[in-house]
Amino acid sequence: MNDQSITVRGKDRYKSGVMEYKRMGYWEPSYQPKDTDVIALFRVTPQDGVDPTEACAAVAGESSTATWTVVWTDRLTAAEKYRAKCYRVEPVPSSPGSYFAYIAYDLDLFEAGSIANLTASIIGNVFGFKPLKALRLEDMRLPVAYVKTFQGPATGIVVERERLDKFGRPLLGATVKPKLGLSGRNYGRVVYEALKGGLDFTKDDENINSQPFMHWRERFLYCMEAVNKAQAATGEMKGTYLNVTAATMEDMYERAEFAKQLGSCIVMIDLVIGYTAIQSMAKWARKNDMILHLHRAGHSTYTRQRSHGVSFRVIAKWMRLAGVDHIHAGTVVGKLEGDPNTTRGYYDICREDFNPMRLEHGVFFDQPWASLNKMMPVASGGIHAGQMHQLLDLLGEDVVLQFGGGTIGHPRGIAAGATANRVALEAMILARNEGRDYVHEGPEILARAAQSCTPLREALEVWKDVTFNYESTDTPDFVPTVTAAV
Amino acid sequence: MMQTAQVDANQVAPVDTIDLRREFEDVEIAPVLEQLDRELVGLAPVKTRIREIASLLLMERIRQKMGLTTTFPTLHMSFTGNPGTGKTTVALRMAGILHRLGFVRRGHVISVTRDDLVGQYIGHTAPKTKEVLKKAMGGVLFIDEAYYLYRPENERDYGQEAIEILLQIMESQREDLVVILAGYADRMEKFFSSNPGFRSRIAHHIDFPDYSEGELLTIAELMLEGQNYRFTPEARAAFEKYISVRRTQPLFSNARSIRNALDRVRLRQANRLVSRLDRVLTSNDVMSIEAADVLASRVFRNAEQ
Amino acid sequence: MRVTQGCFSFLPDLTDEQITAQVQYCLDKGWAVNIEFTDDPHPRNTYWEMWGLPMFDLRDAAGIMRELADCRKIYGDRYIRISGFDSSHGWESLRISFIVNRPQHEPGFRLDRQETVGRNLRYATHAYATERPEGERYSS
Repeated sequence: MNDQSITVRGKDRYKSGVMEYKRMGYWEPSYQPKDTDVIALFRVTPQDGVDPTEACAAVAGESSTATWTVVWTDRLTAAEKYRAKCYRVEPVPSSPGSYFAYIAYDLDLFEAGSIANLTASIIGNVFGFKPLKALRLEDMRLPVAYVKTFQGPATGIVVERERLDKFGRPLLGATVKPKLGLSGRNYGRVVYEALKGGLDFTKDDENINSQPFMHWRERFLYCMEAVNKAQAATGEMKGTYLNVTAATMEDMYERAEFAKQLGSCIVMIDLVIGYTAIQSMAKWARKNDMILHLHRAGHSTYTRQRSHGVSFRVIAKWMRLAGVDHIHAGTVVGKLEGDPNTTRGYYDICREDFNPMRLEHGVFFDQPWASLNKMMPVASGGIHAGQMHQLLDLLGEDVVLQFGGGTIGHPRGIAAGATANRVALEAMILARNEGRDYVHEGPEILARAAQSCTPLREALEVWKDVTFNYESTDTPDFVPTVTAAV
Repeated sequence: MMQTAQVDANQVAPVDTIDLRREFEDVEIAPVLEQLDRELVGLAPVKTRIREIASLLLMERIRQKMGLTTTFPTLHMSFTGNPGTGKTTVALRMAGILHRLGFVRRGHVISVTRDDLVGQYIGHTAPKTKEVLKKAMGGVLFIDEAYYLYRPENERDYGQEAIEILLQIMESQREDLVVILAGYADRMEKFFSSNPGFRSRIAHHIDFPDYSEGELLTIAELMLEGQNYRFTPEARAAFEKYISVRRTQPLFSNARSIRNALDRVRLRQANRLVSRLDRVLTSNDVMSIEAADVLASRVFRNAEQ
Repeated sequence: MRVTQGCFSFLPDLTDEQITAQVQYCLDKGWAVNIEFTDDPHPRNTYWEMWGLPMFDLRDAAGIMRELADCRKIYGDRYIRISGFDSSHGWESLRISFIVNRPQHEPGFRLDRQETVGRNLRYATHAYATERPEGERYSS
């Protein structure tokens, strides 16, 4: 790669006409990023014949100040400061034709506390830029100075646990199934059975809003009857994520207010409502003592393919800034996409106060979170009680395990399914804390717990052979080696 | 894996034979005994007693495995001797030995005196004593100058309350902690006579003799070596003299007095060096303690008076 | 009914040996261990009575098990829970909490519904036990 700056300086720089991006100041290999810079790492795949350095400089240019030609009005600004600077380009390991471009952006390029503004720059126009075959935003380093301009999770893991009085184990949830078609009355039945049986939460699905078969008020009223009844039956705090996703902000606020009025401790939104709406709901949630659950509906359209789009780890970072409390972050063992190491990276972004660079987890930068609350990752999709030891090992303790089919599909009913999951979980935590090698002894621990719990025995029997072993499409580019990464 | 290591000897079916060497090597007490040898100069009778106790406990462990005993042995001890004779250090190593042999679960030492156990007013002592006992659980409770707990001249003394709690725990929670009572031999003897409950609960007495002058000199040289200092031959002779004088003076506390003396000697050496600024120092200058550094001690002046 | 608060309520009541192992887990993590009791098991009753102060800096569970035994001697007819508190930055809260003692008979809760505007209901969870004065709720 070029390692010399070839930026044109002096009066030639602003001569009218077209100039290569790398000569306009968007390629500065000796630039040392400042502590306050936002840094983005892109995976750039140039069109055939396009110089990689020029392609990467173009990404820096198009995501900051540049346009296709030199404009004299640059001279009315502190243009050098505002230019994003690509300072490092390197080939992607075992992926010919693709390059990692490290690009630094001055903090003044962004509006404080606005994901919409941040993303309008970083992923605004540039993804359609013709000289590129494909472009992917792999990771971002958000400086403390910028992190501190965001509210962060409305509630956070610690306060959520305090409010629910649930400590020391993953929380258990289930998405009400079938996703579509149940009436409010029938829907509430599923919620009641699941919560009474031992789950902590039930959840609306992402596309349950307000449809002809069940208008939202019906759902809210019956669900809260179910929650309160289950709470009285067990003496334990319960909740159901009432999805307030709607067509307009006004509708969403109305639904959220109703949920609050009914005494719900949590509401839910979908990623598809957009970053601004998410930030608005996060502010509302903080103001109203509400936990805010985010379903990442739609993300796979741009997160899944390794060559083009935005990595989910970046979405996770944006959502932690935006201020949601729960975020679906993958299960590893379930039915949806998720490589173990990559998923581990997402979970760390949700839960740690500081993420060290860890290439084998796809984490490219040290990321301080500056005491922003922690976000509870949610594992949902195709998981069941028989995997409890693996789930605990892979996902840890601060996570919501959502067993939808794994609760409702139980042969003896929803409550039995819920009990099976809860018993499996508690038995596994007990064994882990006792110092047992629960990962290897997992099946044995479950079998032992099942001796005094018929529902668990039945669950283990029904789903004993269910696994989803498909190759992941989004794995880290760097494999762990014996020597330290430089 | 952790499970098998933690399996209690009592739960396994008794065995008929035991490979003694393997058993000895498995518990890894040899390194602790070697450490004790390195750390403490002399003290031959103490070291012999420790080895005896370690052997006894190793056999106790084997007897448990063979099903020849089912009761948990009493392990409380008394360490008697003058200050600075290595009681605290030995307590630390003893805790290590007990831990490796499986007679205490954690192997830490909580070192306390009367003030840590006995309160100032009614209702203050029991919580204080219990607090200390809770911290010591799984390890060794080392009570220095234990006889101060008992003050017969004051019949309302709160020390009695601490004694009662201690006695109860020493009996009922033998598996949870080992108590070592330490202090001067004569006062400890009196304490035991007035508190026979303690005597009956103490399984091992170890007496710590005073160090000989030669041993004290060796200790001094080891301490200096550890800090990269050394005596010149004249200073060594001066320090020998220092030891013989200091021993006869009040408040002599063996190794502790030596440590304190060396601290002052280093101070005087530094002062001597700094008093002549215009010269180049060699590392030899910086390391050497000279006779003058020793002889300036108050100890000699007091002796002359 | 069985109040299912805490980490292990769906398992058979823990034996003292099992409780010891959990307490030791807390101590090995460097957490302070707290014993609390109550005769009002309402799910929002956050502040149970403390059995002394949280126990900091302990190495071995035996001391805590002794405290638990003492607590049971006096409040054995009530709910007792043990919790582990982590004071490290960014958490500064409980890391685990589990019930170690419960009344022989748990009468449970009644759900009171108050009809309000439209189809709305206001709910209140009422612990039957609290119908009797504090201290007399579970001993017959």
